[in-house]
Amino acid sequence: MNKQTKVWLVLSIALSLLALGSACGGSKQPVTNEANTSSASGPYSGPTGTVAGVVSYEGTPPAAKKIDTTADAACGKANPNLMTDDTVVTDGKLANTFVYIKDGTVDGGKKLTDYTWSTPATAVQLDQKGCHYSPHVFGVQTNQKISITNSDQTQHNIHWIPKTNPEWNQSQPNGAPAIEKTFARPEVLIPVKCNQHPWMKAYIGVMRTPFFAVSGTNGAYEIKGVPPGKYTVVAWREGGTNGTEKTFEVTVPANGAGKADFSFGTGPATTSTKPSLTMMPAIELPMMHK
Amino acid sequence: MLIIAIGNRHLRFKFLMSKGLNRFAILVASATFFLIIAGALVTSNDAGLATSDWPLSNGQFLPPMVGNMFYEHGHRMIATTVGLLTIGLAIYIRFKDKRFWVWRLGFFALFAVVIQGILGGLTVKMMLPLGVSAAHATLAQLFFCTTVSLAVFTSKSWIEARPFREEHANTPLRHMCTIALVMIFVQLVLGATLRHSAKWDQHLPAQLLVAHIVGAFAVAVALGGATLSVLRRHAGEKFLTRPATIALVLLVVQLSLGVAAYLTRLGSPDDPQPLHPMIGITVAHVACGALVFATTIVLTLRTYRVLPATEAAMAMAGQES
Repeated sequence: MNKQTKVWLVLSIALSLLALGSACGGSKQPVTNEANTSSASGPYSGPTGTVAGVVSYEGTPPAAKKIDTTADAACGKANPNLMTDDTVVTDGKLANTFVYIKDGTVDGGKKLTDYTWSTPATAVQLDQKGCHYSPHVFGVQTNQKISITNSDQTQHNIHWIPKTNPEWNQSQPNGAPAIEKTFARPEVLIPVKCNQHPWMKAYIGVMRTPFFAVSGTNGAYEIKGVPPGKYTVVAWREGGTNGTEKTFEVTVPANGAGKADFSFGTGPATTSTKPSLTMMPAIELPMMHK
Repeated sequence: MLIIAIGNRHLRFKFLMSKGLNRFAILVASATFFLIIAGALVTSNDAGLATSDWPLSNGQFLPPMVGNMFYEHGHRMIATTVGLLTIGLAIYIRFKDKRFWVWRLGFFALFAVVIQGILGGLTVKMMLPLGVSAAHATLAQLFFCTTVSLAVFTSKSWIEARPFREEHANTPLRHMCTIALVMIFVQLVLGATLRHSAKWDQHLPAQLLVAHIVGAFAVAVALGGATLSVLRRHAGEKFLTRPATIALVLLVVQLSLGVAAYLTRLGSPDDPQPLHPMIGITVAHVACGALVFATTIVLTLRTYRVLPATEAAMAMAGQES
């Protein structure tokens, strides 16, 4: 082997090892916190209002499906009648819809993102109980802790598949301590799955601002502490490749409430009962290429 | 002359043939086939990331085999067994077989199984990137090809002296079989990429799906043409007609399984979890694809064995005897 060949060989091996190392450690690289790099002008202080409404489901919702838990006896024991919860409708009201202020202008001309919004110190809990994620849909602010616990008598893995944040997968055997994680970048919505129990799914909405909520079993939601202004409110629900969104333009008065009702399913689009609001018809967007 | 010929044939056997080695090579090829099925079960059940660590699972050598851990860790256990068997085969060949090129093939198998293990680990640590996962699935087929070839090369039917058969057709069968083999391999790569590009709860990408369907037609034409030509031109030669017949039957089964797999996969995104018959039919499609590949390898090698068309083949045959 001549000298030149040896040099090339050593270089090739070194580059391969470097590529291998960077590939293995790729997911652990720190991510720039976009919230910290925005041109924030300090915290907002002034009067606030709320955005509230009800999410309805028009038409006949798809029936919940029974989940086969025979592959793991602990799941069947803990939750013998485990059903899908992608469309939870009670008296025509839709639960688990993530509603958030996507964009808008605060009275005075500034954008919501021009202000800094402090990250809550309390962690959001995500529990694995009965081989089911609880809550099924939830929101956090960027860099807010998510505390993941396993209350089951079996092992799980938590695997989230974001598009802008790093992908992450971690096993959590029964009895293991809680895992705390954060997201550095805003992203709506991040699917979470358990590869050991493939029916287990959850969705996390990561927001730079605290202006989000999830509809309860009565379909109601409320976003508090919103500065007066004109906003685009979005309701997101799971289904299809990337879920379905509906948008609504809403005006929030100082110390008042802007109302934005949403409707999914096969019925008519968005409704509103408050004529003083600026309204636009809802647009249903199958987010195929999000 | 007859006595000399029989004597030469006996000496050739004694020199090259080892029944034990051939049986061991068949065992490794069979274990590899079983491993491909186990790997297909991992993909169909979406179990590839059931544990975040590798090579241990949840830090254990023997974790509780519940849920999808059964498929993921089971696949790792079978893969370890195949790896050990391949080491054994390479050593066995080194001591029992006198042909240098068979030694090299044995060590290539060992090299391939090591790379395959590394790819398996990488795909877990990198969280199933399409390129690595598809490469893992493709190398699995290449490794299977190698083990099947070793089983062929160490077999009695390969080693024993055989008269060369004349070919009078314009298109040599060995070329037809080689083309079919290459097309099957390309089709296996396409299939592996298609399978790994969408999970059970996602729809298959249309472009890859169309490419795989076009590939199926191409393979049907190439392999169908090659096998029917074998059956027509060499009707009395079981050495060739047997693998040709099996390949033809498997091709029909495989095409039917492909249609069934597509139909069951269509509704899968609406299911709450990966369900049968989607899992069973898709895994059967992968397994049958591997069998079509294996049978075509046998057929192609045998055409090269008894249908010499080039001086190189004659020289190779001369080296063995």
